[in-house]
Amino acid sequence: MNRRTVLAIARKDIQATTANLQVWLPMLIVPLLLGIGVPVAMVLAFRFGAASISPEDAQVMLDWVDRLPVVELGTVWPTLNEMSQKLIYLSANYMLAPFFLIIPLMTASVISADSFAGEKERGTLETLLFAPVDMRSLFVGKVMASFVPAVAVSLVTFFLCGLTVNLAAWPLFHRVIFPQLNWLPLMLLVIPGVSLLAILINVFVSARVATFQAAYQISGVVVLPVLLLVVGQVTGVLVLNGWVAILVGLMVAVIDFMLLGKVMRHLNRNQLFESQVR
Amino acid sequence: MTRKAFLELNRVAKGFGGKQVLTDLSFAVHRGEIVGFIGPNGSGKTTTIRLLNGVIDPDAGEISVGGYDPRLDGEAVRRMSGVLTESAGLYSNLTGRQNLRFFADLYGVDDLSRCDELLAEFGLAEAADSRVGTYSTGMKKRLGLAKALLHRPDVLFLDEPTNGLDPEGIRMVLGYIRQLNERDGTTVMICSHLLQQLEQVCHRYLFLQGGRVVEQGTLAELEARYFPTLTLEVETDLVLSDGQYCGIPAKQVGTGRIAFTLPSRDDVPHLLRRLTQEAAVYHAVPVRFDLETLYFKIREGAAHEQKNRAGHRP
Repeated sequence: MNRRTVLAIARKDIQATTANLQVWLPMLIVPLLLGIGVPVAMVLAFRFGAASISPEDAQVMLDWVDRLPVVELGTVWPTLNEMSQKLIYLSANYMLAPFFLIIPLMTASVISADSFAGEKERGTLETLLFAPVDMRSLFVGKVMASFVPAVAVSLVTFFLCGLTVNLAAWPLFHRVIFPQLNWLPLMLLVIPGVSLLAILINVFVSARVATFQAAYQISGVVVLPVLLLVVGQVTGVLVLNGWVAILVGLMVAVIDFMLLGKVMRHLNRNQLFESQVR
Repeated sequence: MTRKAFLELNRVAKGFGGKQVLTDLSFAVHRGEIVGFIGPNGSGKTTTIRLLNGVIDPDAGEISVGGYDPRLDGEAVRRMSGVLTESAGLYSNLTGRQNLRFFADLYGVDDLSRCDELLAEFGLAEAADSRVGTYSTGMKKRLGLAKALLHRPDVLFLDEPTNGLDPEGIRMVLGYIRQLNERDGTTVMICSHLLQQLEQVCHRYLFLQGGRVVEQGTLAELEARYFPTLTLEVETDLVLSDGQYCGIPAKQVGTGRIAFTLPSRDDVPHLLRRLTQEAAVYHAVPVRFDLETLYFKIREGAAHEQKNRAGHRP
């Protein structure tokens, strides 16, 4: 594997993505909306509107706390006196996880679906394969080109989310309430792992189908929902528990490594050329 | 031939999805040659370039490029070869300079001033920071050629290098190919339909048809093979009486112009000596057959042969 080649391919793909407004704008709007807009709106709604929630509805939400592992809320919960404080603390720390699963998966899918199918459609795959580029470097470069932006967008959004949520909730708490430690394994283990999984599947699909559109359809209709469903269910995103997230993260990492090894062994220039270049 | 060939194909066959593109392709190209690869659309020119670069494998036969088998040492072959594909295959959402930088990384070119040098050489210095999507066809072709030359390849494969170029562009590209060949001894293989342009640069020609080479040679060799007689066009006041002059077939081709058909070059001085004694001679030139005339003659012959072979089939 050639480091210079890997970096060149990754950089080129990222340049090509950022050069196209139609591609990167949605990749920016969705994270802003899901990762900042929705959480802040939620906090503000509970801050100013907690009184108008019917006591029964509020109780349904609070009952749900009883199902959380005791350790999670043990020390914090008794210090929260007001209804609005309780609702904000709960929703910010335990209900946003699905959004932060969607953000990297979406970003990763848009870029990775384009990886080989896009090159083919624009007639550049031929030139690329005529170059002295080994297939492993090519593949790893392509994976990096999706992985780096996906994780970067997630982390930046997460940081901004934390900043805005705490700002919005400050008058009620006067301290940082989000994120709690339960977020660490999700952000540092599950999200990179699941992103890589989605990318590996997408790049593989992209190398086999005819057009970007086909690759994107498959990734959007098959890969994304399945991943969201399975990972979402297993981590119990609503009851985001640190230990479960660590376990899921490690499992996903193992699957990633197995898949990566398998794909790397089966890369074949001639097969790719004959199936993809007219 | 005693010299060892630089590119060599021996009885190569290749088909795609049941359609046979190359049936029995054999030819050799020597180091430092510029060879024109000529044939109708779909005759397998592009397939041959792909086989030579090891991006596809032949179904049968042997291939050697600079001593390497592209099937086994594809990477070594691709490091010493430069390819300009028909579509140029550049990234339209990157700038010209970004494109060259990217390929410099892939080809392991360390001297980045090489990119600027080539951009200037192909008249793209001003457009270097514009996106390739905004380039004209000719500019894309020139950038594609610059890309193919980045790593100073030993052998250059050019698929329709002048397609879509304006006359200045054509002159620039052809001049550069010739200069490159003379200066660095680069071996060049050019696929083209534009026969007149090939004539300006190629040392030798390969005619491809029906998946094999049906004819090859230098222009002089081909001329001698297909037009064994010589036509001499003379501007003179001689009056022809019966379509011949002293036993030499002759034909009036315009006012005061007569075309004589001679068995060989050696008969020219003899004819002129006699002619000048009897009439005024203002101008005399041998009619040269261009590549295009030869092309059709060769295609005709190959078609005949094919028909004959088909006829003999039991």
